[in-house]
Amino acid sequence: MSDNGILLDIKGLCVSFFTEDGIARAVQDVSFSVKKGETFALVGESGCGKSVTALSVMRLVADPPGKIVAGEINFDGRNLLEMSDQRIRSVRGNRIAMIFQEPMTSLNPVYTVGEQIVEAIRLHQKKEEAEAWDIAAEMLRKVGISDPAQRVAEYPHQMSGGMRQRVMIAMAISCKPELLIADEPTTALDVTIQAQILDLLDQLQEQSRMSILLITHNLGIVAERAENVAVMYASRIAELSDCKSLFDNPLHPYTQGLLKSLPRLGFTGKRLYTIPGIVPEPLRFPAGCKFHPRCPIGCNDKRCQTVEPQLRRLDNGRAAACWFAPGYERPDDPKI
Amino acid sequence: MVDNKQQKDWGTSYGEMVWKEFAKSKFTLCWLGFIILLFLLAIFAPFLANDKPFVIRIDGQLHWPIFKALTASDYSILLAAIVALTQFVLVLHNRKSVDPSIRAGVLWRQITISVFIVLVGIILLFVFIPRRLDATDYKSMVASGKATGAVFAPVPYGFGRTDLKVREQPPNRQHWLGTDDVGSDVLCRLIHGSRISLSVGFVAVGISSIIGIIIGAILGYSGGKTDFIGMRFVEIMMAVPVFFLIITIVAFFPRSLFNIMLIIGLTTWTDDARFVRAEFFKLRRQDFVQAAVSLGLPLRSILFRHMLPNAIAPVLVNASFGIAGAIFIEAALSFLGFGVAPPTPSWGQVLSLGVSTTGRFLWWLTLFPGLAIFFTVLAYNLVGETLRDAIDPRLRESV
Repeated sequence: MSDNGILLDIKGLCVSFFTEDGIARAVQDVSFSVKKGETFALVGESGCGKSVTALSVMRLVADPPGKIVAGEINFDGRNLLEMSDQRIRSVRGNRIAMIFQEPMTSLNPVYTVGEQIVEAIRLHQKKEEAEAWDIAAEMLRKVGISDPAQRVAEYPHQMSGGMRQRVMIAMAISCKPELLIADEPTTALDVTIQAQILDLLDQLQEQSRMSILLITHNLGIVAERAENVAVMYASRIAELSDCKSLFDNPLHPYTQGLLKSLPRLGFTGKRLYTIPGIVPEPLRFPAGCKFHPRCPIGCNDKRCQTVEPQLRRLDNGRAAACWFAPGYERPDDPKI
Repeated sequence: MVDNKQQKDWGTSYGEMVWKEFAKSKFTLCWLGFIILLFLLAIFAPFLANDKPFVIRIDGQLHWPIFKALTASDYSILLAAIVALTQFVLVLHNRKSVDPSIRAGVLWRQITISVFIVLVGIILLFVFIPRRLDATDYKSMVASGKATGAVFAPVPYGFGRTDLKVREQPPNRQHWLGTDDVGSDVLCRLIHGSRISLSVGFVAVGISSIIGIIIGAILGYSGGKTDFIGMRFVEIMMAVPVFFLIITIVAFFPRSLFNIMLIIGLTTWTDDARFVRAEFFKLRRQDFVQAAVSLGLPLRSILFRHMLPNAIAPVLVNASFGIAGAIFIEAALSFLGFGVAPPTPSWGQVLSLGVSTTGRFLWWLTLFPGLAIFFTVLAYNLVGETLRDAIDPRLRESV
């Protein structure tokens, strides 16, 4: 696997949450792969399953109630889902690191930021304590925190949100991971800090050739930074494409709707487009294509209402899950 | 040691913030002072109330009877107190002058050395100090002029000494708080009794906190079936009337101080378990715990390094109330005759002598130990109350 440049390869991942109200299928049949050194974006609305997909890679899905029911997550040729707890611990933080969405709560309030970074460094790199502290200060400098030698001795509550997110990034990259999972790393930050953090991630990626799995609902970020994109809707991938073609020519009506609802420079006079309806709850997914009640094309189509389209690779190297995507239909498809 | 590093200003830690908030209440600080005073009283009890003089001149020769008469456990308590005080000073010193990057390591080394000194010291003391019984009546020697230059403790009576000539005396100039049914000085017995009360409180609460924390942590972190079954067990324990259980158990086992501590500790951990479980339940899903897991830290570190310090606050508060409760239970057991065996002094025991066998009500035997128990329990409760308010972040004005 590792020879063709693919670092992370997810195949047919299904995650369900077994709740008192029923089984919520949060992720269904999700497959995609992340190449070495690339930024892969996973886009979708809240609750579409993108965070659960990311947590699955780290094997952090809460069990119970959650459970990975099917699929493979191959990292550098090894299936993470079959690893022992011992083995997965040596991968977590060391080869795959994660940045969480909420910087205000992602650091332990009772330890200084230095102590928290040092713990990770000492665990994975077997460094002496004093040396680990030097590395920690160096990492803080790398993520653009001024006066790092002083800052390592501060507690999280003495820092602002943007600083804490930088600390999180410093902690994540301190062991030089091959894959960095960034779960909405900028959602909780204001716009200027957002740009700084994302630039920082770009820089770090250039320096160390790590792959980034960027999870976001912000299409603007995707357009600027990602090479490949998977658009998720209601637990499935709706469209999988390289970034440029996705923005130039979206195949799935959901992607089209998302792009139409983005405000553009010079766009005046009319109300901004919104996709009608709301995201269905995992416990009450509609039959057929999950997007059909909100779809301008498929809302009255019998087949969309009854048969769910699978993600299918198309001739142009992209993939979509829509009966109406050009080149999607095949002779043996059910006709209604 | 890293000498070339510049000194860093260590930020305000959670503990310091709580202390600042705590120290705002001068009233409670007074009660904290009272508790510290009780501790000093307990540690130096043999020097405050003893029938042996510090120094005495017999036949022209100087003798130091009090130091010869101290038992190995007296010396052990002194040693532990001195080492603990030194350790406390060292911690304060560390904060100022040790580089934060190595402070945790330095602290652990110091604590290891302190514990080592105390353990080795106690073993040596018990090996080398023989059990001595010094029955010499120094006071009559002084009175008869055989000995001179005697310096006695402020309360010149031993807690085990009986003197039937002065039994059941109300407070007077010789015996400030009176004497009991066998003529022992009440003040002396109260001073020595503070050792029993404090050690019962601390050891019992220590045992119950450790059990409660471990059970609560496991239940809270694992959740699911383990939690369900475990909590039903905790609820069964809670339904048992603890005091009557203790009385029953004490009736079956020898009346030793250690047994009483153990039994109180083994039966009062349910509240701690519930608090810790609830906190862990909340913390388990918090981002920083998830982040710790995603860094690949082992379970031991996640449970006890990252989750426990964030869950310890209610346990600390409860410990303060628990100490008060344990002192109260011990006093009640002693009052009912299930406590430590005489002549070991205990507040509850002195209290129980208030109604003498002749049917007289000896008010000084009830009032003074009663006040001692009352103020001690009150002090712990007030400190616990203030600590709870100080920990509660909603009441904290500036973070």
